[in-house]
Amino acid sequence: MANMKFYCDAERCIECNACVTACKNENEVPWGVNRRRVVTIKDGEPGERSLSVACMHCSDAPCAAVCPVDCFYTTEDGLVLHDKDICIGCGYCFYACPFGAPQFPESGAFASRGKMDKCTFCAGGPAETGSAAEHRKYGSNRLAEGKLPLCAEMCSTKALLAGDADVISDIYRMRVVNRGASVLDWGVNYDKASLRQSKGMKGKVSSKG
Amino acid sequence: MTQSPTRHHRSWWLVCILAFTALWASSVPAQPAPPPAASPIMVPNPSTDLWRAVRQREAAVAGRTQVQGVQTGVLIQKSGEDFRNYRREDFIGPAGMVLGGAAVLVLLFYFARGEIPIPDGRSGKKIRRFPDFDRVLHWFTAILFIFLALTGLTLLFGRFFLLPVIGPEAFAVIASACKEGHNLFGPLFLFSVLGMLIRWGSRNLPHAYDLKWILKGGGIIGTAHVSAGFFNAGEKIWFWSVILLGATVTASGLVLLFPVFGQAREIMQLALVVHGIVAVLFIAGSFGHIYIGTLGTQGSLESMTTGYVDENWAQGHHDLWHKQATGAQASSGAATDKKTHVTAEPGAAAVERT
Repeated sequence: MANMKFYCDAERCIECNACVTACKNENEVPWGVNRRRVVTIKDGEPGERSLSVACMHCSDAPCAAVCPVDCFYTTEDGLVLHDKDICIGCGYCFYACPFGAPQFPESGAFASRGKMDKCTFCAGGPAETGSAAEHRKYGSNRLAEGKLPLCAEMCSTKALLAGDADVISDIYRMRVVNRGASVLDWGVNYDKASLRQSKGMKGKVSSKG
Repeated sequence: MTQSPTRHHRSWWLVCILAFTALWASSVPAQPAPPPAASPIMVPNPSTDLWRAVRQREAAVAGRTQVQGVQTGVLIQKSGEDFRNYRREDFIGPAGMVLGGAAVLVLLFYFARGEIPIPDGRSGKKIRRFPDFDRVLHWFTAILFIFLALTGLTLLFGRFFLLPVIGPEAFAVIASACKEGHNLFGPLFLFSVLGMLIRWGSRNLPHAYDLKWILKGGGIIGTAHVSAGFFNAGEKIWFWSVILLGATVTASGLVLLFPVFGQAREIMQLALVVHGIVAVLFIAGSFGHIYIGTLGTQGSLESMTTGYVDENWAQGHHDLWHKQATGAQASSGAATDKKTHVTAEPGAAAVERT
């Protein structure tokens, strides 16, 4: 069983927002809902970095802990999904989530919260896999088709990685070995980074990473 | 090669001596600097800086994002975990204990004391206590309160007690109805609080004899009679508790009800914490009020159902009001508690009964 995770490489993200757009299009999310967003810190200053953030599919998810109707469940792939037929739109998961992942369409009376919507890792939901109901409620189920989430699949700089945690961390580790944890001016530059190269690694690993 | 080896040799020695002299001279006033250790290249870990900024450990870092909405520029909000721990560890369990404890206390009191009869039995004479408006206001508040309490408690405890029994689908229907009902009828409590404040506020202002009432414990212990006006001190405390708790619970509820005014998550977490604590205290207090008004005291409930009380009930529990009401009975039905009139000590009635 895999343990699916996202990882966003801050050294590679160029804040193109393609992941956000891809997600909205692929999952046809409700109006006003963004399952994913790109946040830039120190925008326009030295050390600017961007990170794409959505549901991180926590192993010990706070949203599931505070839900009054217990509508969350963790799949065999380690994904935190929820049942929209059970969700009552109370908003507690939004208060508890560190990442601001749960989103609420303003579909209730007086623009109150409708049923919660969040990133599913493109794994659909509890409805029958591939059914119209599943797509309407939860969006695409790419995982069932053997594909990874579209946001990561079409990331132009491969900053956003999605997949099994072991594979993701291996890829990231390779990158760090080659370039250092940072390539720009946050205390390190290309000159210094070259000093960090391990013996015998020069010119070899870069073709793999 | 124009230089001879001896000459080269000499100049080399000269350089060495000069260098050593300079070294010795510089080492005299201070300790010689330690030789540079063979340390790794000092490179600050940039990931640490990045994640420290993301976690907002040193200062709030304002992120920028294309996605519009409240706090979308915040990558990680720290208080979410506190909210989760508070709710699961510190609130739901103790809330159950407070409510259960209040119910047990009321039951114990009932077994210990039983129903307190009307002093000297029923006289058969009735005194007007609450006109129609007061009773409508009371029952509007009471029904609304019980509805909001039941729906709220279902949302608070249902996951642990109701869901395992009836299953997630059935519970989802109930919980959804509870949430919608709670949200739709909750704001009406504002009218209850305001109505009660306007209608009964002046009659619940504290008075000197209230202190005596409190010091004697309201006559709960023993049979000593304590003097009281239209409302006794216990009722006054409950009244102001209702106003205070009701206003707080309504205000915090409104913050949660309309998430469209740009209030931050921290505000809503705080509102939910306040809403929960206040509501639990309110419900626990209501157990006492309901008990005293129904089972606890003979003849009390009819004041809110029929609007009339037995004269002996009035004499026994609210002697100052009784004195004034019977004096003013001829002119007007409903009595008002004019503080200036209640200066007389509770004389005859108390002496007779003891």
